[in-house]
Amino acid sequence: MTFDWPTLLPLIFAGLMGLAILIYVVLDGFDLGIGILFNFADDAEKDTMIAAIGPFWDANETWLVLAVGLLLVAFPLAHGVILTALYLPTFLLLVGLILRGVAFDFRAKVPAGRKHRWNRIFFAGSLIASLAQGYMLGVYVLGLETGLAAMAFGALVALCLAASYAAMGAAWLIYKTEGALQKKAVRWLRSTLVLTVLGMAAISLATPFASTRIFDKWFVWPQMLYLSPLPILSALLFIWLWRQTFHLPKENDRHSIIPFLTLAAIFALGFAGLAWSFYPFVVPDQLTIWQAAAAPESLAIILVGTVFVLPIIIAYSFYSYRVFGGKAGDLTYD
Amino acid sequence: MDPLILSRIQFGANISFHILFPTITIALGWVLLFFKLRYNATGDTAWMRAYFTWVKVFALSFALGVVTGVTMSFQFGTNWPGYMETVGNIAGPLLAYEILTAFFLEAAFLGIMLFGFRRVPNRIHTLATVLVAGGTTVSAFWIIALNSWMQTPAGFEMRDGVAHAVDWWAIVFNPSMPYRLTHMLIASGLTVSFLIAGFSALRYLAGDRSDSMWKALRTGVFLAAVLIPVQIFVGDQHGLNTLEHQPAKVAAMEANWHTGSNIPLVLFAIPDEKAKENRFEITVPNGASLILTHSIDGVVPGLDQFEGNHPPVFPVFWGFRIMVGTGLLMLAVSWSAAYFLRRRRSLPKPLALLMVPMALSGWVATLAGWYTTEIGRQPWLVSGILKTADAVGPVAGSHVALTLAVYLILYAALLVTYLGVLVHLALKAAKDGDTSPLPGVLNAPLSQPAAGE
Repeated sequence: MTFDWPTLLPLIFAGLMGLAILIYVVLDGFDLGIGILFNFADDAEKDTMIAAIGPFWDANETWLVLAVGLLLVAFPLAHGVILTALYLPTFLLLVGLILRGVAFDFRAKVPAGRKHRWNRIFFAGSLIASLAQGYMLGVYVLGLETGLAAMAFGALVALCLAASYAAMGAAWLIYKTEGALQKKAVRWLRSTLVLTVLGMAAISLATPFASTRIFDKWFVWPQMLYLSPLPILSALLFIWLWRQTFHLPKENDRHSIIPFLTLAAIFALGFAGLAWSFYPFVVPDQLTIWQAAAAPESLAIILVGTVFVLPIIIAYSFYSYRVFGGKAGDLTYD
Repeated sequence: MDPLILSRIQFGANISFHILFPTITIALGWVLLFFKLRYNATGDTAWMRAYFTWVKVFALSFALGVVTGVTMSFQFGTNWPGYMETVGNIAGPLLAYEILTAFFLEAAFLGIMLFGFRRVPNRIHTLATVLVAGGTTVSAFWIIALNSWMQTPAGFEMRDGVAHAVDWWAIVFNPSMPYRLTHMLIASGLTVSFLIAGFSALRYLAGDRSDSMWKALRTGVFLAAVLIPVQIFVGDQHGLNTLEHQPAKVAAMEANWHTGSNIPLVLFAIPDEKAKENRFEITVPNGASLILTHSIDGVVPGLDQFEGNHPPVFPVFWGFRIMVGTGLLMLAVSWSAAYFLRRRRSLPKPLALLMVPMALSGWVATLAGWYTTEIGRQPWLVSGILKTADAVGPVAGSHVALTLAVYLILYAALLVTYLGVLVHLALKAAKDGDTSPLPGVLNAPLSQPAAGE
């Protein structure tokens, strides 16, 4: 492999896209997750849950636009292949995102009697969007296969991703709320964690057996050794977090963000594993990142902008999270 | 049905529904900044009340813009994979810059703008308003650059059937871009000013005579009265630019079947594409020659020059007439309202009643204008480079039809709800008048219903 720009640029953009997807999954994961947990909360708790994500969700969802945008602009061929293959799940994802996105605002602005309807739509939209993302991930992992087995696997991943988003949501609530809702969130975290573990284990086992190429990437010496920290660390973090759920919330609510960060770390580890499985393909077993990439001069001009702007975006995103730091509950329009 | 026409209808439906909301947020951001700056300068809380009323509309419109915008980013791939395969090298960077320089800026500071008034210093809150307004405008800049490039491509070369960028300056500032951008930004200003004027007229009719109502009403009416003549001038310039670069579109807009001089302006007609003539024509002699060439015997291109390669005439002809007609109505309404507000310091009831439905006149004109220019580009997706028929994806017609049906139902329901919420907000604001809680005192969580009644 030579390290000239036409080789490096697609690699850099694959990395950027991966980063955008990971940030999206972690950030929108918690607000989609809160949407999934919405149905299990009472009316006052619902208001607090919305207040815990209200100032953030727009920006969180923008990471999806960036991820899809990078796929579109850096790997235009792959964008077409993947999205036409996943036409219907993509459609469901969009309908889900539309419904929950408007429900945020409508539930607060319609006459009081209709608020319940928009609460239900918020729950349904969040659930549909999460399931659709999981299904798309599952089918993508299997190389965009069609057929009953692929659909069943997609359905399994859909359930598990929805559960892990719910776990993220619960962990975020532990950070952003207090009192009875926080205790409830701890119980939510515990139950959804079980499903998350099952899901990640299922994907990790299914992927290598679905594709001999992926099997060969993992189960050869010495790669096995280098890769072993991924599953081992994930397992340790899971066990640690599981045990923590029996001791939460801590005295004076210390370190209440730790469960969320732990889950984010687990997501990152799982994501790294997936990325390793797919590399160098952007459409599994069909298109490599170099075959699908846009022209180097176009990638270069995007990269220039990205290098300048991305750090600024991250900086002001942090600032925005800091402005709305602390416990939620008094979100007002002034 | 044929996936091509279904894909076009679906994309058209999505982008039509999407454009409604950015059209509002682009200019509303700046109007909110105006309210905020007036408050900062005068300390008059009525300005801040106007801000809080309209920031809710902004939040709602922004949310609808975001979710329908996410849909757009997927639809390039789901419906038009051939588009990115052919011109991805040009469209990609423009879209990427839109996301990087605009979307995140808007989304991150929107939170502070909406909910941060008491959490950050006043200056930061004003700055957040500036950044959100700036973000919406920057976003318009990039997407209009891309759209204009599709209309009048420049600064590229074709290699093996794929467009490659040669000169980015020429790509961004392609021949029609400055005209289209100006025309669209003013269109947004007009949409918002009529929305504010109509919404305030509804409050007025409901008996509201509060300071914040008057301030919003005046802002809307005067802004509209100032912008509409500017828009008519800019629109004319844009038309001349189109004549120079896309004569087939102009020929379709004028339903002019034969190239020649002393071409009349067609006021009304049913263009008949098969017979290549207009039915039930009402014309002004020499009108088209005069408008397009500024001389009564100027030569105007006809559709006969573009046999088999020109856009469908009926929608382009009528789209253009609806836009211009709405514009003239806007001129009449905004100038008479401005007259009454300045000279009589009141609003006659019939005029107020007319202003309420005129709240949506900006949407009508904007959509009609976009239909004119987008259908007017057909059969090309990118003028001279890529035909729409060659960009459509391999998805089965039944899938496109099914998803199209759901989108249409969903959009209709959302539109009804959106308008219902606007009316509800207006009536509630009318009822509260200046007794709504003062800035910094209000402590009702966002998640509480806006109306408890």
